[in-house]
Amino acid sequence: MERILRLLNGSEDIGRGLPYWAIFAAVLALFIAVPLYLSEFAAYNVSFYLLNIPMALGLCILWGYCGTLSFGQVAYFGVAGYAYGIIAGNLINHPLGTLIGSIGGIIAAMVLAGIFGYFVFFARVQTWIVPILTLVLTLLLETFLGQTAGYQWRVGTVQLGGYNGMTGIPSFQLGSYVFSGYAFFYFVLAIVTVSYLLCRALVNSSFGKVLLAIREDALRTETLGYDIRVRQWIAFVLAAALAGLSGLLYVQWGNYITPSQVGLLAAALPVIWVAVGGREKLLAAVIGTYALNWINYKLSSSGNQYALVITGTLLVAVMLFFPRGLVVSLLDLFARIPAKRRAHGE
Amino acid sequence: MANSASLIVENLNKRFGGVVATDNVSFALDPGSIQCIIGPNGAGKSTFFSLLVGIQKPDSGRIVFNDIDITRMLPAARVKQGLGLTFQTNRVFHDLSVRQNLEIAKAAGADNGNRVKDDRYLLALERFGLDAGDHTPARNLPHHQRQWLEIVMVLACGPDLMLLDEPTAGMSPQETGNTARVLRELNQTGLTLVVVEHDMAFVRDIAQRVTVLHQGRIFADGPLDEVTRRQDVRDIYLGRK
Repeated sequence: MERILRLLNGSEDIGRGLPYWAIFAAVLALFIAVPLYLSEFAAYNVSFYLLNIPMALGLCILWGYCGTLSFGQVAYFGVAGYAYGIIAGNLINHPLGTLIGSIGGIIAAMVLAGIFGYFVFFARVQTWIVPILTLVLTLLLETFLGQTAGYQWRVGTVQLGGYNGMTGIPSFQLGSYVFSGYAFFYFVLAIVTVSYLLCRALVNSSFGKVLLAIREDALRTETLGYDIRVRQWIAFVLAAALAGLSGLLYVQWGNYITPSQVGLLAAALPVIWVAVGGREKLLAAVIGTYALNWINYKLSSSGNQYALVITGTLLVAVMLFFPRGLVVSLLDLFARIPAKRRAHGE
Repeated sequence: MANSASLIVENLNKRFGGVVATDNVSFALDPGSIQCIIGPNGAGKSTFFSLLVGIQKPDSGRIVFNDIDITRMLPAARVKQGLGLTFQTNRVFHDLSVRQNLEIAKAAGADNGNRVKDDRYLLALERFGLDAGDHTPARNLPHHQRQWLEIVMVLACGPDLMLLDEPTAGMSPQETGNTARVLRELNQTGLTLVVVEHDMAFVRDIAQRVTVLHQGRIFADGPLDEVTRRQDVRDIYLGRK
């Protein structure tokens, strides 16, 4: 227990000690109290901003902590979503159908990442090639799914649906209780909170420290006696599982998925969220993801045609002026001001 | 002798395109000694080290370490067998703190099983005046302390044999002298050392045996005085051919 607390309070993510956890609890309370000040429809939208966070956490660990950029996180997002749709759709009358579908979806994402990552890391592909390979993976998947229109592309009773996508995907349910509205919001909130805390413990663990070492200097890490291939592979599969988790929540939220979810535009988004927040810190990635999804939703739902142009401009501006990400850079700045004041006072 | 390392290299060859970096090198280490490898630039010293530690794969030949054939092993596996290396250009984790650097190295040592020779690690830490709890990012350390930090990190992995590639490059005479003193002290605990170095004062200070590499071949090998007296060795060093 003490060990878990120490891992949660470690120094590899933003914030430590009582002040941090007080703010954390306050923000969590604000989310828990959502039904008091937001309509069920608005809470449903908040669920959407939240459900992308696990995918961002995975990318943050893989890219920010382990030094391997992936443009393919949406491939695992999509595979988990489609696999869930197929399994849960076929087990529609089974009381645990959606639970089995959820587990199956995450396993599918992990298996794809496991096989793909094995070839990438055990063949010692150079780090800078990985973003291209993962992008190719997701574009291949998009192309494949795009041509699955027609009756022959069905699994059991579920049709893959080509470019129109898979529709009528069941919402998550336990027994006869269907998670929708506020209940689904709490479901997402719980999963996102637990995912964040587990990732935080992971980056503060000794495994997390070795990931940092690999990011800093892979050869030096290897010549300290670490088999870096296994560790990179584990980080890769873990990131895929988290992307898969987001994919599951997405199809349970909207009850549909289309191949454009694994397309070029979608592939770039997680990278933008994490880069704008700050890839070096989990919490920065969380804030970046939530904020950009919120902004994007507000802009596009108010009929603004330029939502993505604005997101893109924001990325360019942040990369130019805050290359380490907005949240990370601003916190750095705040940390420096009191230090300077203290120096002047003495 | 307690945990002294044996290293035997047989007919090792490595070429890069037309360049023969390692040309039929055979070499047997005196267990428990400090041995220096010298030679002009491009003699193949660093390539030899990278073959020993597994960063490069030899075209042919055999490397036997502590009676185990390690020729085809990955670097991490060789380190687990008790091999350690510091690089020519400093490769501590520059963005991480001294403390993080040491924690990562210590955890690797614990991973390597019962090989943790804590006494050597603690000795070097103390003699080099480094603080294991220091939160300073490694890149803010002065150059010589970064070099020392890398030595301490490698010691944390519990090696029996340590390869050092120009450990004193860029150091002042005092810092070089301190490095030599600590390396000698470590050697007295049974640690075997092989050092590539250009600084002849340093070599004189620590070497019990000297190997001269020239154009990928072993040119001369023997006690320091004997080797440095040879006229042909002086000639290749001074470029008179």
